[in-house]
Amino acid sequence: MKLARIFSVAERVLRQLWHDRRVLVFMLLLPALAMLLFGYSFSGDITDVRVAFIDEDNTDLTESILESLESNDAFEITVLESVDDPQQLLLGEGYQAVIRIPDKFTSLYYAHFAMGVATSAQGTIDLTLDESDPQIATTVKMGLADAAMDLGEGGPVEIDEADLYGVEVRFIDSFAPAIMGLVVALISTVLTLLSIVREKVDGTFSRVWVSPLRRAEFILGYVVAFGLIALVQSLVVLAVGIAVFHIVINGSIVWAFVCVILFAIGSVGLGTLLSALAQTESQAIIFFPLVILPSVLLSGMMWPIQAIPRLLRPLSYIVPLTYSNRLLRAVMVKGLAPWEEPVGFIGVLVFVALTILVASAVLRQSASEQA
Amino acid sequence: MVDRTAVFQAEGLVKTFGDLRAVDHLNLFISTGEIYGLVGPSGAGKTTLIRLLCGLATPTDGEARLLGARMPTDRRDVEDRFGYMPQERAVYRDLTVAENLLFFGRLYAMSRSRIKERTSELLELMRLPRQANQLTSSLSGGEKQRLSLACALLHQPDALLLDEPTIGLDPALRREFWDHFHELNQRGQTILLSTHYLHEAEWCGRVGLIQRGQLVAEGTPDELRHAAARQSGLERPDMEQVFLILTGAGVAGGVS
Repeated sequence: MKLARIFSVAERVLRQLWHDRRVLVFMLLLPALAMLLFGYSFSGDITDVRVAFIDEDNTDLTESILESLESNDAFEITVLESVDDPQQLLLGEGYQAVIRIPDKFTSLYYAHFAMGVATSAQGTIDLTLDESDPQIATTVKMGLADAAMDLGEGGPVEIDEADLYGVEVRFIDSFAPAIMGLVVALISTVLTLLSIVREKVDGTFSRVWVSPLRRAEFILGYVVAFGLIALVQSLVVLAVGIAVFHIVINGSIVWAFVCVILFAIGSVGLGTLLSALAQTESQAIIFFPLVILPSVLLSGMMWPIQAIPRLLRPLSYIVPLTYSNRLLRAVMVKGLAPWEEPVGFIGVLVFVALTILVASAVLRQSASEQA
Repeated sequence: MVDRTAVFQAEGLVKTFGDLRAVDHLNLFISTGEIYGLVGPSGAGKTTLIRLLCGLATPTDGEARLLGARMPTDRRDVEDRFGYMPQERAVYRDLTVAENLLFFGRLYAMSRSRIKERTSELLELMRLPRQANQLTSSLSGGEKQRLSLACALLHQPDALLLDEPTIGLDPALRREFWDHFHELNQRGQTILLSTHYLHEAEWCGRVGLIQRGQLVAEGTPDELRHAAARQSGLERPDMEQVFLILTGAGVAGGVS
C-alpha cells in the first residue's frame, strides 16, 4: 500500500470534478439549496391559521386569553361580536377554528377555585374546529391549551419547562444534521457510482488494473477525495444554517465533521458496490432514486421513526441515513461525543466496514472478469 | 516449462465464457525483440488472449506467462515492466492530455518531474504538443488514440500489448502508427499487437492467424505467403487471400 498512489487517485478524481464545472457548481449548490428548501418548507412552524374569537364575557381574564392567543405566531385572530352558527364560519367563511368564551365564564372559573373540586360547574371555552387537516387542528388545540395555562397567578397548572440542552431546540436545529448527512451521502454515492461505471465504459478500468495500483488504494483514493468534498459540503450546510436559520450547535463541530466524513466513506463504499450492478451510465442512474427515496422517507429525517408504521420500521433500520441522523443529532444537538450515542455510532461504523469490504470484493470481481 | 527469453507465452491456454470458447488450447511463444501481430476477424479471440496475457482475465485452463511470470497470479512481479493499450481508447475524457499522463505516471511511481519530461517527449513524438492542456473530450478520435498509445509507453516498459491500436484510423495515420511501432521495436521493446486489418500483417515480424480462439497458422509474412501459394497455386497472394486460404475459408473471391 502506497500513500502516493492513494493520493494520485484522489487527485485524479478531484481534477475530473474540477474540469466538469456543472458538477462542481452542483456539488456546492446542493447543500445550500437543500438547507434552504428543506429549512423553509419543513421548518415545522405552522402560521396564518385563521381563528375567529368571540368573547361574550368581556372581563380582564378573557382579555388575557385573547392576548395570549394573539401572541401566538400560528394564529391570525379575528375578533367577532357574536356568532349564531360556528359551523357556518368554518364551512362558509374559511375559518379553521372558532373559539367562543360564553357569558359568565369568569365567574364560573373563580367560583370553581373558591368552592374546591367537583362541586361546581367549571368555566368552559367552546371550540369548534375544522379537523380536515389534523396538524392544523392539533396546533389550535395546543395553542388554546397554552393560553388557558397562561391564565397567570392562580391558573390551574403551571408547567416549568427545563431545556435539557441549555437552549430550546427547534425543528431546524435537528434538521441541519440530517441535511448534512443526506447531501454527503447523495453526492458521494452517486458520483462514485458514476465515476466507476464510466471507467468501465471507457476502458480506463483495465488500464488501471494492469498498473501497480492496488484495489485498496483505489478505494482509499476515492475516500480521500469524497471525504474532502464532504467536509466542504458540511461547511456549506452549516454556513447557510447559521446565517439564514440561526441554528444552534451545542456539540463539538470537530466531532460532527469526523462523523460526516465517516459517513462519506461508507457512501463511497456503497457507490462502489452499486457500480458492480451497472454496466452503463444509464443503468447507473436507475440506482439514484433507490438511494434517495428511502433516505428521505425512512431515516427519521422529516418525521420521527416513531411516526412510521410499525410494519415498515424495520426498513428504517437498514437505511444508513437513519444511523447518521441519530449520530449527528446526538453530536450537534445534544452535544454528546459519538460513542455516547452507541446505536448511531455503531450503525455508521458497521455501514462503513460492510460497504468497504463488499466494495473491495466487488472490485476484484469486476477487475478480473470483465469480458 | 518457462523459457527465460519468452516475453509472451501461452501453453494449452483455454478461456471459456459460458458455452463460448474464446481461446481454445492455444500455444504461443514470442521472444525478446519480436514484433508479433495477432491477425484475425473480430470475435476471433484476440482481445481475450491479450487480456489473459496481461492478467486481466484468469485462464480456464492452461498457462499464460508474461516476461516469465504466470498471469494473473504472479502479475505483481512484472506489473511495471509492460504497457497495455486496451481496445477502447481508455483515457479519461474529463482530464486534460497532460493530466492523463500525470495520473498513469504516478501509478507507476514516476516522479512529477520525470513525468513532465516524458510527457513532452511523448507528445512531441505523437505530434500532440499543443494539445497538452486541452480536455481529452475535445480531441479527435485519432488524437485520443495517440494519447492512449502515449499512456502505454509512458513508463518505458520492456513489453507492449496493444489491442487493435490502429482501429478506426485513416490509412495515413495508421502508417504513422506502424512507424512508431517499428521505431519502438528497434529500441528494444517487444510488441504484441492485434489487428483485424489483414494487410497490416505485412508489417509484422511474425504473424499469428487466429480464428475461433485457435492459432491456425504462424510465421513471417513471407512464410505465410509461401504456404498459401503452395496450397492454392496462386502466384503471389495478398494478405487477405493468405488469411482465407490458411484458415480454410476458401480462395479469395469465393468468400466475401
